[in-house]
Parts: sequence; structure tokens; C-alpha cells
Amino acid sequence: MTDKPLIEITDLEVTYWGRSLMGIGGKPFHAVRGANLSIRAGETLGLVGESGSGKSSIANAVLGLVTASGGSIRFGDAELTAMRTRYPPAIRSQIQAVFQDPYSSLNPSMTVEAIVTEPLHVHTSMDRAARRARAIELLKLVSLSEEHLDRHPHQFSGGQRQRIAIAAALALQPKLIVLDEPVSALDVSTQNQIINLLYERRAEFGIAYLMIAHDLALVHHISDRIAVMYLGHIVEEGPSDRVYHAPAHPYTRALLDAVPLLDPAAQRRRRAARKFAPAPDAPRLSATGCPYQNRCPHVMPRCRAEMPPAFAIAGGGTAACFLHAPDAGPAPETARLSGQPACKEPAAP
Amino acid sequence: MTSKPDTLSPAGPVRARSRLNGAHIVTSVAAAVLVLLAFLAVFADWVAPYDPLRQSLMEALQGPSAAHWLGTDDLGRDVLSRLIHGCRIAVIAAAEATTIAVLLGVPIGLFIGYRGGVWDWIVMRIVEAVVSIPGIMVAIAIIAILGAGLHRAMIALGILFSTSFLRLARGVVLAEREEVYVRSARVIGASDRRILMRHIFPNIAPPLIVQVTLTVGAVLLAEAGLSFIGLGVQPPQASWGTMLNTAAAFMDFNWFLSVPPGIAIILTVLSVNLLGDVLRDSIGRGIAVETRPETPAARFAAAPGAAEPVVLPRRADEVLRVENLQVMVPAPGGEVPVITDLSFSIARGETLGLVGESGSGKTLTGLAILGLLGAGVRATHGAILLNGQDLRALSPRQIEQVRGNEVAMVFQDPTTSLNPAFTVGSQIAEVLRVKQGLNRAQAWARAVELIDRVGIPRPEERARAYPHELSGGMAQRIAIARALSCNPSLLIADEPTTALDVTVQQEILDLFRDLQAEFGMAILFVTHDLAVAADICDRISVMYAGEMVEMAGVDALFADPRHPYTAGLLHAMPHASDRMPPLPTIRGNVPRPGDWPSGCRFSDRCDFRVAACDARIPLLGRERLVRCIRAGELELEAAS
Repeated sequence: MTDKPLIEITDLEVTYWGRSLMGIGGKPFHAVRGANLSIRAGETLGLVGESGSGKSSIANAVLGLVTASGGSIRFGDAELTAMRTRYPPAIRSQIQAVFQDPYSSLNPSMTVEAIVTEPLHVHTSMDRAARRARAIELLKLVSLSEEHLDRHPHQFSGGQRQRIAIAAALALQPKLIVLDEPVSALDVSTQNQIINLLYERRAEFGIAYLMIAHDLALVHHISDRIAVMYLGHIVEEGPSDRVYHAPAHPYTRALLDAVPLLDPAAQRRRRAARKFAPAPDAPRLSATGCPYQNRCPHVMPRCRAEMPPAFAIAGGGTAACFLHAPDAGPAPETARLSGQPACKEPAAP
Repeated sequence: MTSKPDTLSPAGPVRARSRLNGAHIVTSVAAAVLVLLAFLAVFADWVAPYDPLRQSLMEALQGPSAAHWLGTDDLGRDVLSRLIHGCRIAVIAAAEATTIAVLLGVPIGLFIGYRGGVWDWIVMRIVEAVVSIPGIMVAIAIIAILGAGLHRAMIALGILFSTSFLRLARGVVLAEREEVYVRSARVIGASDRRILMRHIFPNIAPPLIVQVTLTVGAVLLAEAGLSFIGLGVQPPQASWGTMLNTAAAFMDFNWFLSVPPGIAIILTVLSVNLLGDVLRDSIGRGIAVETRPETPAARFAAAPGAAEPVVLPRRADEVLRVENLQVMVPAPGGEVPVITDLSFSIARGETLGLVGESGSGKTLTGLAILGLLGAGVRATHGAILLNGQDLRALSPRQIEQVRGNEVAMVFQDPTTSLNPAFTVGSQIAEVLRVKQGLNRAQAWARAVELIDRVGIPRPEERARAYPHELSGGMAQRIAIARALSCNPSLLIADEPTTALDVTVQQEILDLFRDLQAEFGMAILFVTHDLAVAADICDRISVMYAGEMVEMAGVDALFADPRHPYTAGLLHAMPHASDRMPPLPTIRGNVPRPGDWPSGCRFSDRCDFRVAACDARIPLLGRERLVRCIRAGELELEAAS
């Protein structure tokens, strides 16, 4: 690994324009509001957040499926945002993707061979026999075999379909694969099979992953670094273990605490300790200040007035929270002890 | 399994086959008519007994005779010969107009559907203008420009009918364009042309084929119509339309003249449309049903027969008691079971978790209790006792009374389980009016009360909101309020938090707990997520491949899982461990119904399998139930 990142996202903004009734005009929706991220070669970055947080918009901007409305995405020496959605083949072949729903991500009218060899068709001049041979190789990489080549997607289970999608993504030996919720549509016992497969192929080929997910625990297994998004902002970023075990941003902590524990007794204790119930009707985003101010148990006047910048966190990474401002004094306890009743009475604001 | 389904199952396929034969005969007749038409069109010169244009005024307007089977027309021309030559015109007309329509409509439709924007806008406005004018007038207008005659008329019809192909192609592209596999193709770097031709176009084929057959029928009728009013085929050439024209003029002298061309038109159009229907159905079936290498029904029948004795002790406060429930689904070659020998009970104020992966039968269990199994799916065996009353014995009308009043359901996706066309308040009020006979004002007041009770601020205002105006969590609260509106004794919650974010999930689980404490209903909580079950359930029943494999109190189950599948699931949970990959997995996949192993259904994925596992394994125990013969000896690790 070199110090120069494979992909560097700076102040990225993605805006969607809603359609009004007449088809013109409409209100802008700011899905991503100034995101900074970087991924080095062979590294996995987990991007976590709830629905509407903008994580998929970042994925789409990296893949050139939407045009960024501001900021930059540098991939090697190329500026991706300048190309809008028209990446040259040399870049296209380096950035591949696996999407969430294995039932709609494979074309129902194509055979597995056609699906897996489609990238070779587009980017190489291999003949049919060579492509078929490569397809067999690729299927073996995802624990499928030659006999599956001539079948159609509907003959496979969700997990197998996701394997096929991964085989197609590996076909061009990309440097970066964007994984958009790759296992959230799968059964629990199949999820880990796919995670293991992704992990093994990464070690084998030195691919970098941008893994989008809503489940912090799942992302923690496979990521080197984790970034947490809330309403278009990246509120925390840092080494995987640090973010998972010692979350610095109150939202990251809330995310972790919301996942029920597998130990019913511990879960009961945690539930009893949970005092702060966020009002379900809280306005989502205020015009100024921290995006999390309306749900945050630690909210201070300052949080409502100005947007917190990213402060460095002991143990690595940053958190956009005034609790961690150098002049803020000791931060209240937001660390989470795995398996323990983590919630304590929040500090008075 | 009892003998009842066995005796029934052979009847099913037999009936299906005879129905198939009926459809088959109709199809064959339709196909034969069209083959005959094509044959006559090609070989008209040889087949026809006379020259269709040869006049013989002496023999004009004769009825059917040995020399002229279908008689003669006003100029003494042989009607049969003209009819046969008319076939040629019909085939040419249909081919010409349909080809023009497809070649014109499909590419333009594909293009504007894919591109969208201003092109789409302009073309669609033109299409709308064309469609808004009666078809025959458009054709007449085009013919007025091009001049009369068969080929010109067909060009006119082709342009006219191209609008339906254009709309069809555009519609399919608009839908497919948003599909994830089209996004995948973009990511791969496929050009727009390639995406259109290779990824989207093949999916247009099925509706296109149907549209072609419909158009052929319509063109035949339109050609006859245009020729009838003198704008299509010009006399003296023979076409069915010109023949009808002649017949109309000489109606008073020889009424029979109109019969042969009329019947020819009806038969042909009917055959084409019938064949189109058959094609559409067979294409649909080809996608929906897949073949299996062996007949699953036979395989299952080989398993030992008798129903398991119910091991459930009767409990006080029992609200729901399910005994030996069996549910069958239709499959090629008979029915296959999806739930077998399922027995459980839920007491008042208790939450029972039904946990398992997709295909375990947990959702169908909930639907079976409500009597809402889909078409062809049926509960073949067992009893469902709600407050002592067997729901399976009730008439559909009676069960409708039970539904909503005594048992209610909350579904996974609140945005689809609520009707988008009505305000959320009116949907709750509707239930109260129908089920409890409240008047409009009372129902509305109670609905607002319920909305307030499920923790929604400003309930008066929110009652007037439409479902799409609410967030997922809010909508689920409304769905819960609706389910609770008649104070049911049993609430079935099918993955009620799966579609929600984790922080919202936590709120909804708290709400369930809170409402149960107040109303005391029993809850059947269906979920795939063991951690959610740990949070909300008192007891948990683990389902695998249509049967219960383990049932225990929530603390006992998590501290000491007895079935290898339960232990495997617990280990596989993402937050169960802290390690880097390889993560623990259960090898293989959940077998589909019909492909279940005959003994222990988990045996081919189990690390502890022994020879005895190939026999049917009973569910054993009293307080804790487990379906594993090695449960006593195995020491399985708890998850955390």
C-alpha cells in the first residue's frame, strides 16, 4: 500500500432535482452535503448510515451513475466528476459494483455465461471460447461451476445470484468494487458465506472495496475503516475497531445501541437503562448547525448555531461533533462495551 | 401426513390435464385455420376453381350450386375463387401493415423511452394527438395524402398501429431502465446502444409477440373496412372487404353474398387473437414455473406417514393453539408440503417468536391462521384454535368476522400495507365502522385516539395525512394502530421492523411491548432476526424447512441452544462475534419445499450428522422442545 489513495473524495455534493407537477422546476434534494473520504489500494472502507443518509448517492457518484453537483472524486490521476457519467473504458473497467438485490441485479433473459462475460465483451477482444474459459474460471472463484453456465438467474437462490454478480464484477480485475448492501437481502446463514468470499477475493487480488451497509456490526467484520453518514453528512470516520468499540459521535453510538443484543438478559438491562427516547416527529434537518441536533442527547447551543467541523479523535479518525472540540473539556462517555449494557444516563446538555 | 392428501393428489393433475386438452383443441383449431389461410394465399392460383376476375353476366347473382359452391356475384364471378384470392390480400395486408407498425413503433419507442427528456415529450404529444382521433379518420387522412390502393392503405394502417407498438416499447424501456441490471450494465461500461439492444430489448419480446397478434387481427378488420368504403383494394381485385362492399350493394338480390367473406374475416381474426392469448399465457408460464428433476410429491410421500402426537401441554390463558398444522402449495406434478406437523400455543399477554430463514414457512403460518393463504395454497391438516374455536372449521364469512375483531396482522412494509388513496385516519375509522358498527364521527374520534396512543404527535393533523406523507416508522405505527383498533386477542406481526432503520426498529419494538402491557393481547412475532426476537419475545420457536426444530423460553434458547441449526444461526449473526473473516457459516442453502431430505431436514448441512438422522426425527421434550436425536449429547456453544 502506498500513501497516495486509490480514490479520494473531497467535499462531494450530490443533489437531486425533484419534478414538480408540470415537469419543470421542482425542489432540490441535497443527498450528499460535502463528504470527504479516501480509500487506499486494497483497503476496505465501510460506509454506514440509515436510509436517506446519502450513502448510496456516494456510491452512485463514484460509479458515474449520477453526476456530482460539487466537490471532486479523484481516481488515480483522473478527476471523475469532470467526466460526468461518461467514464472512458480504462476507468470503467477499474471500478465495478455489486448491488443489493440479487433478484433484480441479474438480467432475467440472459444466461449466467452471458452475464459473467458481458464485461469481457465490452472491454476485451477475447473470442467466444476464450470468454467461456474465463467465465468458468470466474465461477470457480465464487464457488460455482461450469454446469451453471447455461442456466438463467431464476434457477438460483439469492446467495448464488450474489455469487454470480460478484463473478461478473471480478471479470475485469478491477481496482475498486463498490458493494452496495451486498448481503442485506440474504438469509443470515448465507450472509457470512458472501462476506467470507468477498474477503478471500480481496486478499487474493488486492481489490479495494467501498462497502455500503446499514449494519455497523456487519461492516466491522470486513472493513479497515468505517465512515458513518447522517442526512448527507459524514459524521464520523476512523479505523474499524475504534469506530465500533469506541464510537465518538453520538449518532454512531445510537446506531450501535439500537441493534438488539443476542443476550436477552443484557438486552433487558440495556432497555431499562435507555432513558432518552428520540421524539419520532423531530424535524429531520435544521437550516443551521449539526444535522443530528434534534435527536442528540448531548446537544449544546453551539450545535444549533454552527456546523461542527471534523475533530481528530484519539485512536484515529475524526468526528464532526463539538463534544470533541479541543476546547470542550473531557468528552462524555460514548464508548460502548460489547455485550454489556452500554447505555448510561446521558450527560446533561 | 394422513391419507387424505394422498387420495386427493392424483385427482389434481388429472383435472389439470383435461383442462389442458380443452385449451389444446382450441389452439389446434386456431392454428389450423391460420395454416389453411397461409396455404390458400400462396397457392390461390392452383386451388381456386375459376379465375376470380372472369366475368359471366349470364350467371350473375346465383346461389350456391355444384358449379359454383358459394355462388356468384353481381358480375357472375365465382365467389369461392374470389374468397380464396382474398386470402392472399389478407395475408399481404396483415404482414405489410404489421411490419411497418413494428419497424416504425418499436425503435422510436425504445429510443424515446431510454433517452426521455424533450424527445420523449415531443413524440408522446404527437402520439397522443394521433390516438385521440378515431383510427379510421387518421387512415383516411393518410390515404387522402398518399392516394387509395392496398399498399398505400397498409402504409396508412402501419403508421396508425405503430403508435401502440411505440407506447409498448416505451413503457417496457421506462420500467427496465430503472432495473438494477441496467445499472449494472452501465457500471460495466456497456454503450447505450448495447444496453438497449442486448439488455433491454429481449425483455420486450413477450409483450411484443402478443401485440403483433392483436395487430394482425385489427389490421384484417381495418383492411376489410377500408376496402369496404373503397379506399383499400380497388375493384375488380378480390379482397374480403371489396366482396363485402359488393354484397352490401346487392343485399336485396342475394343476401348470401355477405356470408362467405364475413365468416372468413371472423374466423381469421378469432384464430389470430386466440393464438395470441395462448402465446401470452405460455410465455408467462415459462417464466413463472421451472422444472424440477424429480417429482417432489412422490419423494415426500415416501416419508413415514402418521401425524406426530401433539406434545403441547394445555396452558391457562391460552389464546391461540395450533395443532399439527400442515400446509401444501401447488407444484408441478402435484402438491408439496411447506409446513408440516406444526404445533404451538400462545397465552394472553405472551409474545411467541417464530424465527427462521426464508422458506422456513414462518410467514405462511401467520397467513394460515388468518385464513389468508394465497390461491392454490391450502391447510390440509390440523387445527387452529383461537380462544377455543377452530378457525379451520369456519365458513369464509365467519372467518371474516374473526379477522380484525379477534386476530389482526401487521405486515413488513407499512408503505404497501396501507392504501395510498385514503388518509390514514379514514383507514382506521373504516375498520371501526365495519367491525364495530361505530358511526362516522365516533369512528373518526376513536381513530385519532388510537393514533395518539401509538405515539404519533399531533394526531388530529396526522390522521388527515396520506401514507406517502409519513416516514416508514410513522406508517408502521399507523398500521399497528389499525391492527389494534378492535382490541384483538391475537396480533400477528410479520417482520414488522425489517423494512425500518435500526433506530426506528427500536422505537417500534418498544411500542409493541408497551401496547401489550396495556391491552394484554397475545403476539405471534414472525422474524428472521434472532436479535429482534431476543428483544421482544417471551418464547421462541425456531423453524427450518417447514417444521419446528426448537422451542424454548428466550433466555434458555440464547444461553443454551439445543438444535445445531439454532446454534449455527446464533453464531452467524453479524453482532455475535468480533472476529475478522472467515466468519462462521452454515454450509449449503435452505432446501426448497419438495427437496427436503426425508429424515432430519437439516441433516445435509449439519456437522453432527449420524446414520440415525436419516429417519424421521420427532420433536421431543416438555418445557423445551427440540427436534434432534443428539440434542442430549451435543454440547453446542452459545453465541455471546
